Amino acid sequence: MDIISILFYLVTSVVIISSIGLIIVNNTVHAALLLVLIFFNTAVLWLMMNAEFLAIVLVLVYVGAVLVLFLFVIMLLDIQVKKTVSKKLYLLFSVTISAIMFAELYLVIFYHDFQNSTVEIVNKNTSNTYEIGLLLFTEHIFSFEVTAFILLVAIIAAIAINMTDRQRALRQDPGKQILETKEKRLKILKDDEL
Amino acid sequence: MITMTHYLVFSALLFCISVAGIFINRKNILLLLMSIELMLLSVNTNFIIFSNYSNDITGQVFVFFILAVAAAESAIGLAIIVSLFRARNSLEINLINKLKG
Repeated sequence: MDIISILFYLVTSVVIISSIGLIIVNNTVHAALLLVLIFFNTAVLWLMMNAEFLAIVLVLVYVGAVLVLFLFVIMLLDIQVKKTVSKKLYLLFSVTISAIMFAELYLVIFYHDFQNSTVEIVNKNTSNTYEIGLLLFTEHIFSFEVTAFILLVAIIAAIAINMTDRQRALRQDPGKQILETKEKRLKILKDDEL
Repeated sequence: MITMTHYLVFSALLFCISVAGIFINRKNILLLLMSIELMLLSVNTNFIIFSNYSNDITGQVFVFFILAVAAAESAIGLAIIVSLFRARNSLEINLINKLKG
């Protein structure tokens, strides 16, 4: 066993065990922290497949932004952790379906027989980031712009969904301002009332 | 020696576990969103494996787009979950049946 094999089995076993833990755990905070572990180990796996840029992006964007957002939402919502055991029927159903899917995928993978093609760490003259950037800003520039627009839509939608609570917002209501009269607001105090 | 089959089997296993997670979870919609993230991760891993196999960097460009769209999706999903929690005061999936005919 060379070092790459040891690293591969270590990383994949950590990912598989923690993803099984993610789907059966009750506490949502624990699930989010397991997801951090999964993403970090998958980034290592991506590094082993010469995808340096995407491995760094996965750690920065997912672990740094999306999972922090998850944790913020979990902390803001104050969810009661209930010990509701899901029904045996659901468990049986889910295990059966995923086992069938895995069997099918396994057959497809072995039918195509990728045995002799190895995933190697090759030394290229140009860096991975340079190659992706070259392709991204020439051939896929339209998709890149559309992605930027999708992110803008996400920002606006995420804010607009949660802007419904108008009573608490501190803003002027012109209708109420016009209907106010001097008599409602002003009162002349005499000396003996003071 | 680690061949491409190893990576593909790993990716398939991760995908199937996350599908099982979507079926099992009946109490928390946040865990469902996390399972979807896990599915997207396994699909992205597949993209990178085949990008490496065919020596074509376009697969990695696609992973970049998928990551951006998935980030947008999870942001909007979390916003929907926050407003759902405000309206229903619970995140149980069994109770979300308002649209049932």
